Amino acid sequence: MSTEFLIALVAMAAVSFFCRVGGFWVMRFVPITPRLEAALRALPLGVMVGILAPVLRQGRIAECAGLAVVVLAMRLFGSDLAAALAGVATVAVLRLIVP
Amino acid sequence: MQAPPFTWAGVRHGFLRAQPLGAGVLIYGLVFGILATEARLSALEAVLMSIFVYSGSAQMAALQVMREGAALLPLLATVLLMNARYLLYGAAMYPWLGGAPPAQSYSSLFFLGDANWALSMAERERGQDDAGFVLGSGLAMFLPWVGGTLAGRLMGGLIPDPASLGMDFMLVAFSAALMMGMWRSRADLWPVLAALAAGLVLVPMLSAGWVIVIAALAAGAAGALMHRP
Repeated sequence: MSTEFLIALVAMAAVSFFCRVGGFWVMRFVPITPRLEAALRALPLGVMVGILAPVLRQGRIAECAGLAVVVLAMRLFGSDLAAALAGVATVAVLRLIVP
Repeated sequence: MQAPPFTWAGVRHGFLRAQPLGAGVLIYGLVFGILATEARLSALEAVLMSIFVYSGSAQMAALQVMREGAALLPLLATVLLMNARYLLYGAAMYPWLGGAPPAQSYSSLFFLGDANWALSMAERERGQDDAGFVLGSGLAMFLPWVGGTLAGRLMGGLIPDPASLGMDFMLVAFSAALMMGMWRSRADLWPVLAALAAGLVLVPMLSAGWVIVIAALAAGAAGALMHRP
């Protein structure tokens, strides 16, 4: 295990633990307004979009078809795991056909 | 503030009550272990990450940032943004755990996950007072997460070429599915559009880590601006 990874691990663990206890601790002093709550709730959606953005921008056939399958499978089955696996399978198959 | 009861019976009850959710966590742990293989993490590194970071979404996003060259600042910002919802979880827990001794409340918060937080809050509504329930249900999520990570990482080593199996697409596919699962109402449209605009513009200019961070901040700003009381 590299020193670089160890530093990253300790820092990530500290940030993660801070998130777990931070809101709990702050509640002693600050009331969370509905507007602040709306902002915090929107953050995970933004992170997901940020992960998808490079794929959408590059616009390769296999990956875009994979995303379409994920959306469709999610609509049909409502299981994120099943939808993700269907998307991965689509990409794997299309990569064999489309170079 | 009055201390809530915190008994081993409560811990045990929470642990057993959360078992059906544990199976799902085990599979997510396997997926993370396989993704960790692809990001060239050792088994020890993957397991330590699952123990101490203990957040599926944050860890998967962190892997993506690490693949881009492991700059520390975008990595930490990603974990912070992915886990920002825990600030709310903790705040919502305060009226219940606030009066408990720090050893009890902070250990309960260390093992807190999305599922056991939701389960605990629901149980609380139904009259559950024993704060041990939070720790017990948290442990029921934590153990399969760490075990699944190890198993997935060891199995992941047997996969010849992740790209040929589409495994490098797993995180993207998972994010898209999780996003649809997170979708609550049309109010979510504005944060998504703001993040999409920011992301598409910034992709050629910035590393993947910063694209994620700025897309999230754009979503947060849109969420706050478009909020209707």
